[in-house]
Amino acid sequence: MLNPQAKAIRCIEWLLLFSSLILFVVGTVLGDTFFLRLATEALIFGGLAMSVDLLLGIVGLLSLGQALYFGFGAYLSALVLKQIAPSFSLAIGIVVLCSTLLGWVASFIALRSKGVYFALITFGLAQVAAKVVYNTRSLGASDGMMGVPILSIWTPFGLLDTANPGTFFIITLLTIGALYAVLKYFLTTPMGSLWHAIRSNEDRLAYVGFKSKGPKQVAFVLATVVAAVSGALYPMLRGFVSPELMFFSVSGNAVVTVVLGGVGTLIGPIMGSVLLTSFKSIIGTWTAHHHIVIGLIFVVIVISAPKGLAGLLTKYFGKGGSNE
Amino acid sequence: MLESLQYIYTPQIVNGLSIGVAVILMALGLTIIFGLLDVINMSHGEFYAAGAFISVSLMAMGISFWLCLFIVPILLIPIGFAMERLLIQKVFHYKDRHILTLLLTFGLAMVLEDGYKIIWGANPIKPSAPISGASELLGVMFPNYRLFLMGFGAVLIFAVWMLIYKTQLGAIVRAAAYDKDMSSSLGIPVMRVYALTFAFGVALAGLAGVLLAPIYSVFPTMGRDFILLAFSVVIVGGLGSIKGAVIAGLLLTQLQSLSSLYISPVWSDPLVFTVMVLVLMFKPSGLYGGMKNA
Repeated sequence: MLNPQAKAIRCIEWLLLFSSLILFVVGTVLGDTFFLRLATEALIFGGLAMSVDLLLGIVGLLSLGQALYFGFGAYLSALVLKQIAPSFSLAIGIVVLCSTLLGWVASFIALRSKGVYFALITFGLAQVAAKVVYNTRSLGASDGMMGVPILSIWTPFGLLDTANPGTFFIITLLTIGALYAVLKYFLTTPMGSLWHAIRSNEDRLAYVGFKSKGPKQVAFVLATVVAAVSGALYPMLRGFVSPELMFFSVSGNAVVTVVLGGVGTLIGPIMGSVLLTSFKSIIGTWTAHHHIVIGLIFVVIVISAPKGLAGLLTKYFGKGGSNE
Repeated sequence: MLESLQYIYTPQIVNGLSIGVAVILMALGLTIIFGLLDVINMSHGEFYAAGAFISVSLMAMGISFWLCLFIVPILLIPIGFAMERLLIQKVFHYKDRHILTLLLTFGLAMVLEDGYKIIWGANPIKPSAPISGASELLGVMFPNYRLFLMGFGAVLIFAVWMLIYKTQLGAIVRAAAYDKDMSSSLGIPVMRVYALTFAFGVALAGLAGVLLAPIYSVFPTMGRDFILLAFSVVIVGGLGSIKGAVIAGLLLTQLQSLSSLYISPVWSDPLVFTVMVLVLMFKPSGLYGGMKNA
């Protein structure tokens, strides 16, 4: 039996799948690559937001530097595709391996502190990394790297290539979907329960005989991998990477997305990303100052609905469910 | 040896000091707001930019720079007061207050920054220095304005310290930070104290903006670059500690300006942030404890 909240989340998941499919169909019918690329980008940044939400919404750790791992994945994937071989599985494989290692090392630095200090240390780490990449000639410095080759990817649907916006959308949907499934699976394991326990009361965990360090580290590494794999898709979509991907605005945007979509739901961030990306492009056609609108929405949401859109929907659906 | 000290190190040290006092002014505001309200003010840099922009506009209207030094902070106090009352106090009672206020001020920063672009345009504005010329000090020439900045800043920092630790007003503020419930039962209007302190911190940031406008150009994203340095100072010094902010401010700006003699200036920012990360790793609460622990 599903409780009303789980039912509501299931509802939202179907809604999301439905709306992204509509976008996909509309894009294909119109033959308009713009919408398809936009939808793909929304999914990619949705993956980044999902990693922020795993830390913030599930474990209760606010990371202000998740763009570091997103950018790491993007740069590594661009390097592999350009220098070694234009192979999707090779790029993703290397990114998964290296980001696991990076996340493991970074977790030792970041998890020494809690609360606000954790937020600030992740912020600091990302600033160091962004400045280093920005100043490194061999990584293209401030210009970034261009000329990432087009890939052919073997999938159950046949050979798909990244140059076709429609098929690359499917590849992205499958990849982000796989990341979502992995995280969802983790939440059903005892590890997932420990994460929730850390969020509600970390200190009390010790009294019931659990250490919080291990589960937090696993969550941190997982979040790193999710961010890095999402980042790895970016150069395949755009054909380039730039140091802007690691800047604070990207991390900040991911946090905005999570809060907009709903903290602690995993699917909310993706929904938030789809909304925010489309919204930005709509407002972008009216005015160059879309930040002011997004900032205002953000302020209003933090004040009026701290649980975000998914929270509002859950509340609505949850009430409906309990009346049945 | 002596010559290199005189002609190479002294100018760098003096330059570092003049930036240092401005950074400390910013950091003081940040650290007071955190020490008292437990709020990480992500929009602090935008209030620094506000100070710079308002002073540029006032000067264009013919008001002298010296008057701006008084008018701008006075203009910013009601703005800061209103923001605390209307926005921050709305989420102040939630359990996730740290995170919510951080996110709220982050959203506010986005709005303000774009607002500046609309009002003043995206192009940098460069106001002229209110004091021209240079004087000789230890046989080296220094721009007079930078010397003024150092002196004025040092006096201000001392005044803020006196205000917090040596006056009755400061005692009220510290009491409100130490124990909210006890202070309010003693008749201190705690919520008003909070709003006023936030406004005071914001006014300090604005003042730093007025002071630095003649050295750097004024542009909408100026707060974003500067806030990173101010944050590092506050973190290294210890969130909520005034002494820590002053010492860390001097240390980090000297590190930045002296390191640029040996490494390319583009690497001095990563160096400062690395120091910040190292401090956070080994002493997460910074060099000195918070204002509450004092």
